[in-house]
Amino acid sequence: MYLPDFDYYAPESLAEATALLVELGPAAKPLAGGTDILVKMKNGLASPSALVSLKNLTELRDIRWEPGRGLVIGALATHNQIRDSEVVQQHFLSISQAAHQLANNQIRNRGTIGGNLVNAIPSADLPPILIALGASVTMVGPDGARTVPLESFFTGPSCCVIEPEGEILTEIVIPEQDTTGSTYIKFGLRKSGALAVVGVATAVTMDGDVIRKARICLGAVYKVPVLAEEAAKVIEGKTWSDELLEQAGRTAVGCCLPISDIRGSDEYRRDLVRVFTRRALKRAITQGHV
Amino acid sequence: MQAIADKQGVKRYLVDVTVNGDDYSVVVKANTLLVNLLRDEIDLTGTKKGCELGDCGSCTVLLDGKPVDACLVLALEADGCDVITIEGVAQHGELDKLQRSFADNAAIQCGYCTPGMILSAKALLTRNPKPTEPEVRAAISGNLCRCTGYVNIVKAVMAAASGEVTA
Amino acid sequence: MSQPTNAAGQPQNDPKLPPREYTHPGLPEPENKDYAVIGKSKPKIDAREKVTGQARYTADLKFPNMLYGKILTSPYAHARILSIDTSEAEKLPGVKAVITHKDVPTLKYGISPARWDENIFCSETVKFVGDKVAAVACIDEETCYKALKAIKVDYEVLPAVLDPLHAMDEDAPQIHPEYPRNNNTEIHQDFGDVDAAFKQADYVRTDFFVGNRTYQAPLEPHTATSIWQDGKLTVYSSTQSPHYFQYYIAREFGLPMGDVRVIKTYVGGGFGGKLEPTGLEFAGAALSKITGRPVKMFYDRAEMFAHNRGRHRQYMKLTTGVDKEGMILGVHADFIMDGGAYTSLGIASAYYAGAMLTLTYEFDNYRFDMHRVYTNLPACGAQRGHGAPQPRYAFEAHLDNIAKDLGIDPIEIRLKNARRPNTVTPNDYVVNSCEMVACLEKARDVSGWRDKKGHLPPGRGIGIATGSFVSGAGYPIYRTDLPQASAMIKVGEDGTAATLYTGATDIGQGSDTILCQMAAEAMGYTYEQMKIVAADTETTPHDFGAYASRQTLMSGAAVKQAGEEVKTQLLETAGQMLDFPPEQLEVRLGKIFAKDNPDTILTTFEDVARTFFVRKGPLTGRGSYAPPKLGGKFKGAPVGTSPAYSFAAQVSEVEIDQETGEVAVLDVWDVHDCGQVINPALLHAQVHGALYMGMGEAIWEEVRFDKNGKIANPTLGEYRLPTALDMPRVHSSLVPSYEPAGPWGVKEVGEGATLPTMGCFRNAIFDAMGVSVNSLPLTPEKVWSALREKRKADGEEVWDPMTCECYLED
Repeated sequence: MYLPDFDYYAPESLAEATALLVELGPAAKPLAGGTDILVKMKNGLASPSALVSLKNLTELRDIRWEPGRGLVIGALATHNQIRDSEVVQQHFLSISQAAHQLANNQIRNRGTIGGNLVNAIPSADLPPILIALGASVTMVGPDGARTVPLESFFTGPSCCVIEPEGEILTEIVIPEQDTTGSTYIKFGLRKSGALAVVGVATAVTMDGDVIRKARICLGAVYKVPVLAEEAAKVIEGKTWSDELLEQAGRTAVGCCLPISDIRGSDEYRRDLVRVFTRRALKRAITQGHV
Repeated sequence: MQAIADKQGVKRYLVDVTVNGDDYSVVVKANTLLVNLLRDEIDLTGTKKGCELGDCGSCTVLLDGKPVDACLVLALEADGCDVITIEGVAQHGELDKLQRSFADNAAIQCGYCTPGMILSAKALLTRNPKPTEPEVRAAISGNLCRCTGYVNIVKAVMAAASGEVTA
Repeated sequence: MSQPTNAAGQPQNDPKLPPREYTHPGLPEPENKDYAVIGKSKPKIDAREKVTGQARYTADLKFPNMLYGKILTSPYAHARILSIDTSEAEKLPGVKAVITHKDVPTLKYGISPARWDENIFCSETVKFVGDKVAAVACIDEETCYKALKAIKVDYEVLPAVLDPLHAMDEDAPQIHPEYPRNNNTEIHQDFGDVDAAFKQADYVRTDFFVGNRTYQAPLEPHTATSIWQDGKLTVYSSTQSPHYFQYYIAREFGLPMGDVRVIKTYVGGGFGGKLEPTGLEFAGAALSKITGRPVKMFYDRAEMFAHNRGRHRQYMKLTTGVDKEGMILGVHADFIMDGGAYTSLGIASAYYAGAMLTLTYEFDNYRFDMHRVYTNLPACGAQRGHGAPQPRYAFEAHLDNIAKDLGIDPIEIRLKNARRPNTVTPNDYVVNSCEMVACLEKARDVSGWRDKKGHLPPGRGIGIATGSFVSGAGYPIYRTDLPQASAMIKVGEDGTAATLYTGATDIGQGSDTILCQMAAEAMGYTYEQMKIVAADTETTPHDFGAYASRQTLMSGAAVKQAGEEVKTQLLETAGQMLDFPPEQLEVRLGKIFAKDNPDTILTTFEDVARTFFVRKGPLTGRGSYAPPKLGGKFKGAPVGTSPAYSFAAQVSEVEIDQETGEVAVLDVWDVHDCGQVINPALLHAQVHGALYMGMGEAIWEEVRFDKNGKIANPTLGEYRLPTALDMPRVHSSLVPSYEPAGPWGVKEVGEGATLPTMGCFRNAIFDAMGVSVNSLPLTPEKVWSALREKRKADGEEVWDPMTCECYLED
């Protein structure tokens, strides 16, 4: 296999990078970990005229807690960096766990959270948990920075709101919040290196046994990661029980439109949404951020 | 980065990379992958190609200490980095304890996954000298082996970690 | 059930009286077990090279002025080639040659002489997505891919046969005009009287099962570097058999075999997929001849999947009649095999599919019907266990169904029917050693079967299955009177090292190591002083290579003979030197002593070998092995014959997620009867690997196709090669066994352990949930679906996920 020819740039600053991308036009692409775009290029699904490497933008690798803002993850943080980060584990172990379930160890050492989001495949493992926790993303372009909630970031398979001319994803913020538990359950057909057949993330705010607030995000069952709001409504304000969560699971099935492919039929995926919504809710309710 | 264009207008770039402690400066096209730089330019063929898509881990090398698939890293991205390949694991002709343990525990069959396996295991033991069996399995789960069922590979890594094998 | 004589007229034992002692009239008694070199876990002879990255595989070789080559393949499953225009490709800078069918011999080939049906390049029609059309040689890999894209082929797309069950329909498209109705081969074998057995039976049951197309997926991609110089051809190849490659390449190009040299480098696994020429050797040879330069040809992973030659998908109908005790009276196996577009090794696969079913259980009446059909899909061939694992899965599942219907414990029904030693199968295989009963009993005990069966918590289950395999095929792939194996040993002039020359082919399984152990044992030498030159048709003596689990027994027999020849000459010289009758001398681990006084070392191997060299020249030994004439007289009788058969039982314990169908494998136990063990560590490693492959096929692996016949998952990820996290605890153990037909009593192990695995998982799932998944792989979705059907049948409420209110727009 080979990569089609392209020009290569490694700018030293974010400003330089965005300027370069504007100058080179939309056929140039930013290069983060490369674990997605290089595969696409080898498979003939992408042939950028230039790759603008972000490797020198070390400030975008940072992971930190900012009081008042929350958990800030630089877009170039690798999956293993997120998995191993004490700050992440301390505040949202569920994000660390989700990062650990992604691809395999070698890919996690290269692949970045920003790349994972911008690549926008419907089965991606990080979006469900980040959306469930209300994350927002910041992009910097020639016209400055803008921030959008992650739930409105994705527009379709491999499509997101990022502007092709010069915009670069810079950070992901998971706000300070009163959620008491969150989790991501991935169902893949192998225990490593598998895409999710179904992924379900939940975040709940409990008041004793009463579910005050819940967010349920489903992955791999629609063209974008999708919030199962109707399912959350079924349980909010109620005392949790297995029967109630089963009800939420069944309602969540109405919030997805999975396809049938080599990883599973739509019927199977729907039933898995029911099962894993129930299980993910119970886990977040009873075990906290895991 | 400075580049020189060839007759067809395709640019060449200079990569400075340290491999197994030795400094190399190599002129490459942008599309040159680290695995090709190592195999074709530096003749370190211990780094294998198995799938070229990051599925099998045969081309695993340590890039600044971390295991990565050399088939998914541009040579240019390794500019200024430190790379360890399987040829850099034994020191002065003395096998590393992992290498010895793989030999002693019948963890090698065809040997094609072995370089990548050893490097993934090496990175694990550097980070976590006394791993549990599930940790060992997780650390090598990006390295496929078609011969061993991983049974003796896991055993070999555990034995190396427990000090049963001395280098 | 009485079988007074077999086809060869030999008396058989009463199967109800299992003879557990090793008595074989006319055959040698077991030898002294106190071996010096064999039976020990020596480290692999190539371990250091492999752990340091020094081991060079074919793709690692570079030659001066070398070119790179690639093959252009068909994007259509079935199409007529209207025209091929290579002019644009030829104009690209760096392209040195572009060839099509016009530039190469048009002689049809195939690994199986029964049906030579392949050409180097297609000239009229392409028959599957991946069929070979043209090839290029270029200055680098990248240029090859660009050149392939620049070749313009006009196709007329033809209707394709993608469903093997309809391949033989009257109106189905024809793939090979010479084989009407896409009938590649059909088999009808009938032994005893099956109809009478079914009439006599208390219970007759029929079940239907479907296998999966799987792929060997060796980690190392196929590669071949061809160097055509002065009318002679040298090919470095990732091959399981230098001999067959040499034979077929020479035949194709009209060269004497002596002008073709095939050299195996280190090989990164084969599992059957590297037994036959891959097309890379032929195209590379032609390109090298044209360009006058070495040409390295290679497949990438997707091209490997497309070339394939993996396991056939089989559709298997089994009918068995038993008496009320569960004794098997008669079996009818009626199978269809999806062969793909070419024969490959598929004729043998088709025979193996039915033939191997007679091995693990004794029954007199057996009928086997098989159709191997052509389809417009990649050709299938020999994958670990050849045609046998899927039928074995089907039969073991079928037998568990029967046991359940009769209320008999699965192990009990197997023990009742288990084959005994010194018996002959209805299809005339002579079984010498056979510890099937001991394997079953030990598997039962080590797995804790009695405590677990029927006592596991809901969702947990335990299952058993058996398997048996040949220790080398009784006959080579093409008709020849060459011996199966040969070997030479050359002792160095000072006696401090000896080199074994053998055509046996180490593809990772460790034959180089165990053959050196065997040589040292036979010579009275040490393993550590052995060196090996193997699998090079010019420097090593003939051997057919690595397939059909043949090398330990067959190559081993040749090596033993060569070693003994060295030893005889050595002791003769020692006798002269010591003035001692040579027949009273013994040599062990390089030390020579009188047989009646082993504690006093009289001299050493090294001293005597040196003296030998000074007096007589090189000290060498030669050996060769040809099996006795085996098998019956009926059509296809040679397939499945072997000097010896291994036997195995496997038990697995699983836990099923009752909502998702996910199967967690907790433990697997393999108990093997594989004769004398040469290297225990490598032997158990073979079991681990075979079991891994069987598990992969049982639960994860499957080559899938889209509606146009293109492989939908040609990557190791989507094909789902199991990872270290997917593998369960594996327990491999042995029962004592000695095979009189093998050197030192050896038998095979490498393929046999793949056979029981799929059936034992199916049976464990059956035990856990009472649901039968009748097609491979046993995916979570299939288990989920079977569980839902069962709940519905049991009258339970099953929520339908397809009918709920939808809140989304498409």
